[in-house]
Amino acid sequence: MGTPFLYVESCPICGDGLCRIRVCVQDQKIAGCILCDECEAVWTDPSLKDRIAQRPGAEGPECPTFGLSLWSRSSHWANVGEACLLGWFDRVHLSIASE
Amino acid sequence: MTRPKHETAANALRLIPAKWAVAVVAILIGYVLLQPRLNQWFGWSLPSLASLVGDEKPAAKKETVSKTVAPEITKDFSEPASKTREKVSNDADDDYPLYGFLSEVGRNRYESPAGLIYGSGSEEGHRLKHIARHLEDQPDRPGSHGVFQGTMKEFLVAIDDGFTRAKKGGKGTKKEENGDSTVYEATFDKTIGFQGGQSGGRKKKPPSKKIRIVVRGESLITAFPF
Repeated sequence: MGTPFLYVESCPICGDGLCRIRVCVQDQKIAGCILCDECEAVWTDPSLKDRIAQRPGAEGPECPTFGLSLWSRSSHWANVGEACLLGWFDRVHLSIASE
Repeated sequence: MTRPKHETAANALRLIPAKWAVAVVAILIGYVLLQPRLNQWFGWSLPSLASLVGDEKPAAKKETVSKTVAPEITKDFSEPASKTREKVSNDADDDYPLYGFLSEVGRNRYESPAGLIYGSGSEEGHRLKHIARHLEDQPDRPGSHGVFQGTMKEFLVAIDDGFTRAKKGGKGTKKEENGDSTVYEATFDKTIGFQGGQSGGRKKKPPSKKIRIVVRGESLITAFPF
């Protein structure tokens, strides 16, 4: 059995990406946001109402809470436990990919 | 002394009753008119009347056949995904990062002839590696996953072509500003790929003639057929 794959929905911007929970860790604190794994659009939460524009000059998407790069080593896709911790587990779809 | 063939045929017609002679002539005229069309429609190789009586060499037959059954080259969607994957990944690895198409304009920054910048970023670490994901299907991925059928260089050429046309607002293109990013769409005359992923798989991987390109400034974020 494969690892559970969590996503909120297909990206409303690009249509091909999946909006997924991205977790940032800093000083043993975690923060979450929603990141499209295709076009890198960022939202504050799974409602996809508040989109965060990328800061001018930034090389890529950044965590709305800590300002860290969402592609840095301090960020990763949320697992089931982290989705629960953020209170977003009821907003995600679970897909089990075969390996 | 040998008589000409058409004289022999005329003499033969004189020997049969007039109504039969008229019927034979009508059949021959019908054959002359229909023979090339029958060959064309059914791929037959009926000889012409002239070649039957020996006035024409049968070389024309070969020409007709080659014209009518010339194969039309189309993409083979039945090719196993694993075979495509192997071919594509070799191409992607061998020619990375310029693919005989891009120019280096800085550290890990490459520019296409249309002015698109392929730089660092994405989960894969570089945009080129990110879009290379669209050279193969991901059948287990939820939702749709656009797959380009061709080499990485052909993909880069298609992205440039679509971007150039969409930027000018050409026919079959679309442009949408989305805050900090711009989404371009362009339609091609031919099929460029197919819809993969779980969603595409459920629809039996429908062919795609369109490309969607997401850019931020001049930097390419992603591109895929859809």
